[in-house]
Amino acid sequence: MTQNRLLKLLDTIMVPVLAMISGLIVMGILIILIKKPLFESYAILFSTGFGCEKYGNCIFITALERATPLIFTGLSAVVAFRSGMFSIGQEGQYLVGAVAAAWLGYVIHLPPILHPLLLMLAAMLAGAAYGWIPGILRVKLGVNELLATIMLNSIAALVTEHLVQFPMRADKSTTAHSPVIDKTAYLTSFVPGSNWGMGFVIAVIAVIVVLLYLWRTKAGYEQRMAGQSKLFALYGGIPSDKSAIRAMLISGALAGLAGAVEVMGVHHRIMTGFSTGLGFDGLTAAILGQIHPIGVFIVAILFSGLKLGAQLGLQLQLEIPRELGGTIIGFIILFVAAGKLYEDSIVRVRNWFARRNSHSLKG
Amino acid sequence: MEGFFSVFTVELLNSGIRLATPILLAALGGALCNQAGVLNLALESKMLLGAFVGILAAFYLGNSYVGLLVAMAAGGLLGLLFAFLYHKYKVDLVILAIAFNLIIVELTVFVMRALFGNVGSWSDPSIVRIPDIQIPILHDIPFIGPILSGYNIIVYFSWLVTIAMFIFLYKMRGGRHLRAVGENKSAAETVGINAVLLQTLALVISGALAGLGGAFLSIGHLKLFTRNMSNGRGWIAIAAAMFGVNHPIGVFLASLFFGFADAFSVRIQNVTDLPPNLVKLLPNVATLLVLIIIALRSKIALSMARRRFRSQLRADEAARPAETSL
Repeated sequence: MTQNRLLKLLDTIMVPVLAMISGLIVMGILIILIKKPLFESYAILFSTGFGCEKYGNCIFITALERATPLIFTGLSAVVAFRSGMFSIGQEGQYLVGAVAAAWLGYVIHLPPILHPLLLMLAAMLAGAAYGWIPGILRVKLGVNELLATIMLNSIAALVTEHLVQFPMRADKSTTAHSPVIDKTAYLTSFVPGSNWGMGFVIAVIAVIVVLLYLWRTKAGYEQRMAGQSKLFALYGGIPSDKSAIRAMLISGALAGLAGAVEVMGVHHRIMTGFSTGLGFDGLTAAILGQIHPIGVFIVAILFSGLKLGAQLGLQLQLEIPRELGGTIIGFIILFVAAGKLYEDSIVRVRNWFARRNSHSLKG
Repeated sequence: MEGFFSVFTVELLNSGIRLATPILLAALGGALCNQAGVLNLALESKMLLGAFVGILAAFYLGNSYVGLLVAMAAGGLLGLLFAFLYHKYKVDLVILAIAFNLIIVELTVFVMRALFGNVGSWSDPSIVRIPDIQIPILHDIPFIGPILSGYNIIVYFSWLVTIAMFIFLYKMRGGRHLRAVGENKSAAETVGINAVLLQTLALVISGALAGLGGAFLSIGHLKLFTRNMSNGRGWIAIAAAMFGVNHPIGVFLASLFFGFADAFSVRIQNVTDLPPNLVKLLPNVATLLVLIIIALRSKIALSMARRRFRSQLRADEAARPAETSL
């Protein structure tokens, strides 16, 4: 029994792990092509992205801070994909949630605990509403949700930009930003000097809740069945349209929550260029994490470390453009998608495992 | 009334046609792929690759026309890679498109920075923009002349491709085979059509066209490269292909619509003092509305077919008692 579970786990993580290794090999090729030291680059990438120089100056803690919104947007993508909705609208829902949280953060004055709760609730509602649009368009009319969410993303980005530059603008500084939210709405951080704090805890709770929802509740089961086979779900009496809408609402709420946590825990306001492709990164984290909450959690931290390592390590120390980090992540997705490339090696590893186990049984 | 119509000038038509060109080229490729039954969502990345490789080749080889050819070749190669991964390894085309979008956005900036230092956008005075051409006789016709003439070679080429694709798809055997593959791949294969070859061909041609559309942006329209220069035009092109029911003429009209929406939003920014970010929404909102219209259209077509079927059924039933009574 345990052996079967181990083999199953091995099967699940085999492709992502091999894809990661392949991505790092591509990185090596690119580094050799631009004539930079190969092994030093790897060492700097990992020691910067996942390392700690001294207490209080820990880039790994920054990586955990950056991973926080990514976990939410990744979970958002997981919930959508698992119900068969190919929504990539996390970016737009994230922005809508951030705007809602930033606005209520300085408009309404409430005592601590109550204020953050209200902001998170508002952001989740805003995100859910923005996720409902492509959901209802898909279910009622059959509008392609991929294209619809792409358009809704750019619409949200432009509207946010407008809001920050005009109605919500705090002062006439060179970079437009909204007023700072009340101190009561801040999320506390664990380490002084960093913004890694309560947001991360909320993210971990979200991982557990999504895990329980998808695999331990009736609604989650319906949703997964509707995602796997719409016809099968219909035969079983599952209203797949309803579960698709529900999935888009939950997915939107999670992405909106990402915006709220980012506003309350990190920036304490919203400014021009607030969207930095977090939604898209969440999508890739979901794909690489095998569309599983725990996978998303691990991959989000890995991604943030890789990006920070590329930005602070490779770019600052070796003058390698930081876009290398994003490029590698793209290649890793490509290798995951082309998982069949590894089929032979997976079979070989499985055989090796089986042989080893039979040996130990004999012994 | 006059104030409103002052927005509509010949210049608006000109810039509408110019801005429609990259969308048209990519959308024609997308339509060809749809007709062949392969979903090509990666138009955006092929466009961006074409934009980057085109301006690089124009710089290093010293000739912008060669740049166009290289951009087409690059897009075509990427299409070939797609076809290979799709047919050989059965890779999910949607995830493949997302992966390549990310790779091309980041890799182009990576290479740009590796070559030219830490810059946000890059241009060089030695690069020549593709010159505009006046068509001799056509140009002298009043009113129509200034609208139809005075563009660079890519614009005229995109019109030629529209016509050529129409002839290929509807008047030639290869085109009929390609549509048969799109209709039902295994049925087409049973009668001896090489479906893999035709789908590969569609992906390569579509890649080359999208690459050319990208090069239009970097060396045909402007004279520089910036991060994510295609800026969603590849996605709009997919909507244009759907809007034009994958028919070359329909795609042409749909692309013109999006080009004008784009030009209109630029023009409104110059003429009025509406907030620029909200005016920039126009093409996106237009695309979303078009997506809804496409969906409504197919829904109505379905319900019409259903009604026809029902009335047919009723007519048959009405006829049957008459038969038995005989």
